[in-house]
Amino acid sequence: MSRSHEATIPPARGFSSSSGGGLKTSTPASLELLYAAAAASDPFEGIASAMSFTKHLLMHNCDVWTPDWYNPTQDPQLGTTIMAVEYDGGVVLAADSRTSTGTYVANRVSDKITAVAPPYIYCARSGSAADTQMLADTVRRYVTALALETQRPATVRTAAALFRELIYQNKSRLTAGVICAGWDPLNGGQVYSITLGGTLVRQPFSIGGSGSTYIYGYCDASYRKGMNREACIAFCQQAASLAMARDGSSGGVLRMVCIEESGAQRLLFTEDQLPRGWQG
Amino acid sequence: MSQVNPLHYNGGAVFAATGNQCVAIAADRRFGQAQLTLACDANRLFRVHDRLVLGLTGLATDCLTLAERVRMRTNLYRLGEKREPKPATISALVSALLYERRFAPYFVEPVIVGLSGDNKPYCCSMDLLGTPMETDEFVAAGTCAESLYGTGETFWRPGLDPEDLFEVTAQCMLAALDRDCLSGWGAVVYVLHSEGVTVRELKARMD
Amino acid sequence: MLLEQDFQGFSFDLFLRNQQLLRRWSNESKERIENVLAKPPRKTGTTIAGVLFAGGVVLGADTRATEGNVVADKNCSKIHYIASNIYCCGAGTAADTEATTQLIASQMELHRQAVDRDLVPVAAAMTRLKHYLFRYQGYISAALVLGGVDELNGPSLYTVYPHGSVDQLPYVSMGSGSLAAMAVFEARWHEALTEEEAKCLVYEAISAGIENDLGSGSNVDLCVVKNGGRAVDYLRGYAKENVRVYRKPTGHVFARGTTAVLAQELRKYVQVTRVVSDL
Repeated sequence: MSRSHEATIPPARGFSSSSGGGLKTSTPASLELLYAAAAASDPFEGIASAMSFTKHLLMHNCDVWTPDWYNPTQDPQLGTTIMAVEYDGGVVLAADSRTSTGTYVANRVSDKITAVAPPYIYCARSGSAADTQMLADTVRRYVTALALETQRPATVRTAAALFRELIYQNKSRLTAGVICAGWDPLNGGQVYSITLGGTLVRQPFSIGGSGSTYIYGYCDASYRKGMNREACIAFCQQAASLAMARDGSSGGVLRMVCIEESGAQRLLFTEDQLPRGWQG
Repeated sequence: MSQVNPLHYNGGAVFAATGNQCVAIAADRRFGQAQLTLACDANRLFRVHDRLVLGLTGLATDCLTLAERVRMRTNLYRLGEKREPKPATISALVSALLYERRFAPYFVEPVIVGLSGDNKPYCCSMDLLGTPMETDEFVAAGTCAESLYGTGETFWRPGLDPEDLFEVTAQCMLAALDRDCLSGWGAVVYVLHSEGVTVRELKARMD
Repeated sequence: MLLEQDFQGFSFDLFLRNQQLLRRWSNESKERIENVLAKPPRKTGTTIAGVLFAGGVVLGADTRATEGNVVADKNCSKIHYIASNIYCCGAGTAADTEATTQLIASQMELHRQAVDRDLVPVAAAMTRLKHYLFRYQGYISAALVLGGVDELNGPSLYTVYPHGSVDQLPYVSMGSGSLAAMAVFEARWHEALTEEEAKCLVYEAISAGIENDLGSGSNVDLCVVKNGGRAVDYLRGYAKENVRVYRKPTGHVFARGTTAVLAQELRKYVQVTRVVSDL
């Protein structure tokens, strides 16, 4: 079975050019070796090589390609409300806690805010639980290796660029919408949104997941530039609880992570601690 | 339904049951093509060694292929180990051969029976993906497996002697075959016991 | 020897043949094998569950395996060994749960020897399972409850989904009876469970699955891992509340000679005392 490294390694070129923001990320030659070593156990490459039957089918143009009974059971989805907001000196990430398989809540207290490079870079995940967990793990591995190699912590932009690269290169296989946010000394608090197709955009605030459609208007109307930490948390609380109330596949508790120069702080709001909207 | 099912296309049924220091396996003798009977001397029981029999039902071509592959692997085992494989070893082998083709399976349902060194009976059935199911009671496979499970539940009891085990196994098989048009046309019962293997051809309905 | 070459991973050499067979035998070309096979592969329509307590973890499972609507095995074992301090309950296609847990068990033993420790971390088993299942994108249908105790994290409990996602919770359930089991957990679970209470709770959860889910049945198996991963109580047949009731005490006795026999032959075993030559 031939392995194709090119398909999934984040190319060093794209990596440095997207780092932007005045940050010069030089790419040592050994970095590529590092990536090659890391990619040897890259789970995304694994899909391609393990699923030789996909190749088989394409080769023989079989239309009946799901061979049978083992029609995969439903994929746990993070039917989700996630958001991240920049404030003066940091960022807040917020997420609901519902993971569902069809109509069943598989986990009512799940943690969709995952550390990428603690305590400064986190991501909020939406889409397939399996895909986004594996993405976050993979990016964490790359970012950790990069930090060791370059002798300094990775920037938020770099982590976000890695998400973009993995999602873009595997977009036919993945269902993942990620918001990557954090703090670094170069650009302070930053929020990056990576869409399903692999577009990376920096935004002052970003909302995502199925619940976000209910609160675009609210967020546009209420967001203020340069909020302080408390105002930012209140904004997230209000927006997320509105979405969780209206979206059937969002709910449970509200989790938040505040990241600023001093580090990250986790916050948890149970249902009774959330602002109540109109209840009818 | 049955004629589009590869597991039922050629017909065939196997039943195996344990007894006190003995184990029996029965198979029918029909070889068919959907509703058409081609022969009534089909062999579904394959001798692995003196104390170990592999019964295979399902698509005949796959049964023969698998039997040959098991024979080859058993011979390699003998050459390497200078001893006969234990029943559980053959079980693991068959299971591995089947699971290797998890996504494009052989259409077979194996039954493995044997006696270990101290005449302890071993009885195991598998599905077409190679899930081993070891039991100290009885197992069934093939077109009338459901009937066989029914007759087994009624007739079988623990601690049977070789002679009684033969009667129970044979009657379980014959009763189930009476209600199945894809299997039958004669049956054979092997009883593995401390002395040797008793092979009996049963008088059965030929319709 | 072509047939016997060393394969890595799964073999698809029968794939096209099987497609052709099914296309020829089914009226609709797009019919799935599941609709064609009168007897689908063995599934463990299952209730499996696990609960953490202060000193360890309790895993539980029912013991029914089904092939379609037929009970294929009334007393199968669904709590699989991974390492001396880690066990794993499996739901889904029986072949997959069996093969996957065996594979990871062998990997964990090699890992244990490689790092030269007595106990491997539960997280290591979880990560390997997760990566393996993710690679196959849900086509290996194994839904697992993984539990164990190690020196790093103490008692750990995970669920691993067929697609490769993982949840970590103090009480979990999986399989077709998971809803019934979870209902029991949501009603009765509390934070300060003792070992005995945890066992009772898991037993009640599995019982709820056995009674209310058609795919689950027969007995309750429990497995307790405790004492820093150095003690395991594997309680096979912890509760047997579904034994067959109406059975004739003597069984059905056939008089010897009932069956008409056409031919009979006794093939006696031969004792080989000395082999002169291998050729």
